[in-house]
Amino acid sequence: MKLEEVLFSAYGFSSFRPGQREVIEQVIKGKDVVALLPTGMGKSMCYQLPAHILPGTVLVVSPLLSLMQDQVAQLKKMGEKSVVAINSFLKPQEREKIWQTLGSYRFIFISPEMLVQPFVKKQLEKIHVSLLVADEAHCISQWGFDFRPDYLRIAEILPILKFPQVLALTATATEKVTQEIKTYLKLEEPFIYKHSMDRKNIVYDIKKFDDSRQKLEWLTSFVRGSAGPGIIYAGTRRKSQELAAILMDQGISASYYHGGMEHQDRVFVQQQFQNGELDWVCSTNAFGMGVHISNIRHVVHFQLPTSVEGYVQEVGRAGRDGEAALATLLYAEGDEGLLQSLVMDELPTRHEIQQVASHPAGAEQLVAEGIVRETALRVVAYWLSRLSESETLRQMEFLQREKIKQVDKMKKLVNLQSCIREYIIECFDQHLKGKPENCCVNDGIDYSIFSKRLEKPKKVVLESWQNRLNALLP
Amino acid sequence: MFFNQKTLGGPLLLFEELVITIMKAINLERTISSPFHLIKGKKSGQTIQDVGYYRLHPYFAAMPNLEKRLYDEVIQNLFARQLLRDNDQVIDLTDKALAHAMPASPLNGWKYRGNEAVFLNRLSLVVQTLSYTSQQTNRFDPVHNAEDLQSWVKHYLKKINFRDPASVARFKAEMLESLEAADVEERSKMVLMQRLTGLGWSGMTWEQIALAHDLHILDVQLAAVEALHAWLDVLERNGFPMLSPLLDHVIQRSVLTESTQRTEKLFEKGLSLSEIAAIRQLKTSTIEDHFVELAMNDPFFNFTPFMPPAMYEQIVTVSKKRNTKRLRDIKEELPDATYFQIRLALALREDQP
Ligand SMILES: Nc1ncnc2c1ncn2[C@@H]1O[C@H](COP(=O)(O)OP(=O)(O)O)[C@@H](O)[C@H]1O
Ligand SMILES: [Mg+2]
Ligand SMILES: [Zn+2]
Repeated sequence: MKLEEVLFSAYGFSSFRPGQREVIEQVIKGKDVVALLPTGMGKSMCYQLPAHILPGTVLVVSPLLSLMQDQVAQLKKMGEKSVVAINSFLKPQEREKIWQTLGSYRFIFISPEMLVQPFVKKQLEKIHVSLLVADEAHCISQWGFDFRPDYLRIAEILPILKFPQVLALTATATEKVTQEIKTYLKLEEPFIYKHSMDRKNIVYDIKKFDDSRQKLEWLTSFVRGSAGPGIIYAGTRRKSQELAAILMDQGISASYYHGGMEHQDRVFVQQQFQNGELDWVCSTNAFGMGVHISNIRHVVHFQLPTSVEGYVQEVGRAGRDGEAALATLLYAEGDEGLLQSLVMDELPTRHEIQQVASHPAGAEQLVAEGIVRETALRVVAYWLSRLSESETLRQMEFLQREKIKQVDKMKKLVNLQSCIREYIIECFDQHLKGKPENCCVNDGIDYSIFSKRLEKPKKVVLESWQNRLNALLP
Repeated sequence: MFFNQKTLGGPLLLFEELVITIMKAINLERTISSPFHLIKGKKSGQTIQDVGYYRLHPYFAAMPNLEKRLYDEVIQNLFARQLLRDNDQVIDLTDKALAHAMPASPLNGWKYRGNEAVFLNRLSLVVQTLSYTSQQTNRFDPVHNAEDLQSWVKHYLKKINFRDPASVARFKAEMLESLEAADVEERSKMVLMQRLTGLGWSGMTWEQIALAHDLHILDVQLAAVEALHAWLDVLERNGFPMLSPLLDHVIQRSVLTESTQRTEKLFEKGLSLSEIAAIRQLKTSTIEDHFVELAMNDPFFNFTPFMPPAMYEQIVTVSKKRNTKRLRDIKEELPDATYFQIRLALALREDQP
């Protein structure tokens, strides 16, 4: 059967996105593959489609619970029934049910923590896994911000599964990351597919201001004049709420989104945005994953992101429909200072390392008492299990320098006189093959191609609960 | 942290009135944080005991997600308005607060204990599915992703034959009729409907709802629970073929015998064991059986009207130490305890707070 036919019959898509065919062909041939594709290009399809051709089960290791849930929801939405997610939140009886029918699933999603548990290994040993997928495989990288120590242990499962072929997926395509993925997943001669990190339809803009008041004024007038939909990345939770309030005051359809909100409220904001009931979302970097809106026209960064990789990831949510989208980075004098402290906050402190080292057994207690942060514990515990305390301290200092390098790259981007697109691509060890007409602020931007905001008819106001019910169930 | 929010200081919030109502019952006897634990439904001995002592059943677990930060703001406001006065030890209401007339509450917290959320989650998913599918849209992102909830709803939808427009019409008619009958403000019913999602009408966040009604976020959250409790009361008392199944296991009382349920009702009204026996013209020992049954089925059962905590501790300790549940063995060591007290203590779950 032709691959297109499978694509259509299984998922209803009529053609491949760039890169998908190249990767899928190799996977079906039985090769190990490392696929480096920008966010939103459809990496999941690289295992979703082979699952309909390869015998047995596809086992997907996914670093975050929310990501896993999103993948499962996406598959179910496309009509796939044979899918299950194994994570530590399952109830015992649910788990029991899963073990009994484990071999019958086409897709099994699992967290790295679960994957390395002896009991889980035993269960997996019994079934036939034809493809092991490491999603967001850059989490393997010890130098990355998303480093997840448990990810390094994925390779433990390989002999138990009798060495299935491996597919590693990520959007972070630097040489260093690729190298580490190869090492830690024990891939000897993988086929490496590296798609250009360049998104031709994204236009890069930077606006500089003397202070944050000016920045805010610019933002409100910009949003008032532009057709959405758009995301405004705010840096902190508090800022995201503040910006949303200011925009709403101007009569703009806006809301905020961050990890501190009640789960149901987050779902509502996401759905309102997805369904076009909301034009602008002001958010922290928590927003984006699991948001499948192809027509986002604007991504505005109200504060500097902490790395070029993070920046590209967030900007990448715009323009998935291929139409032009504008990425605007706002900068006010002194913003770097904030950046520095934000970055330092992310890493385990010297104090945290010393605490964990001197209480090897009671580490959980340290988290409970608020002495050590949970994320910090994860990282510190990993290094302490391999290195001495002083070596761990040195390791953290090293990580810190790496992060500062990342921040410096971001600072450099802001002050660039030359092409921003070219600079970004070079940060990923790639070379730019030609610029689009509308490229970046330093090459000149034609803003006229972006639609102006139209006065939309105000949404009907429902006066009573009976009216609302009538609207829900007409 | 709510920038668009109504701030405190205007007319008293409904939530503030709720706090004062609770405080009146425990004035000068409990601390400032006890209403917080009560409203959140903390499963500690003290809180559970207070529910019984002070007849605070309606408010228990009324808002399990209440944020401490918001509660603290409310308390500060009560001080600022001179409804509370400084007292290191306990709640100390001023005369102004004590004179404040309190509206009756449709809450029924002790009974639902946060389980009303199960009902609401099912309802949300059912309404969303009916809304989308009845308008020829089969692909949508469900408002809830929990596996068990989804499979429950799928099963339910199949049973009601959800693709039949007549089913949708009946479902809606039952919603209209039952919610109409709920004894709660119309505005609260609206708040609840705004938490539901349909095609073109996504659910609204608490803050969006608060803005729409010009209310404080705490008051819309309270309104939603009030509407739910009042609605559940209607659904429970009258059969609604389409909606009643959504209550399955929401109210676990069904495991109790009917006679025990009647005893429990009287007890919650404040009657003592012997008074209940007299009114029901039953033997005291029968009523005692009811309480043992209640204790077995109710993880929150409050034993303190029947024995002091110290005695409960002793009975449990002896039972553990001698590894026995035989009443006579325990009575031998604790001659002061009655058989009823021993049965009751043993009937309680291990995890009894
Ligand atoms: N060949 C295709 N044609 C159309 N849409 C596709 C195709 N492949 C994937 N998609 C869609 O693209 C979106 C992004 O896919 P996803 O795998 O989550 O991206 P990534 O992991 O690369 O960020 C999804 O909504 C998916 O259904
Ligand atoms: Mg992905
Ligand atoms: Zn350029």
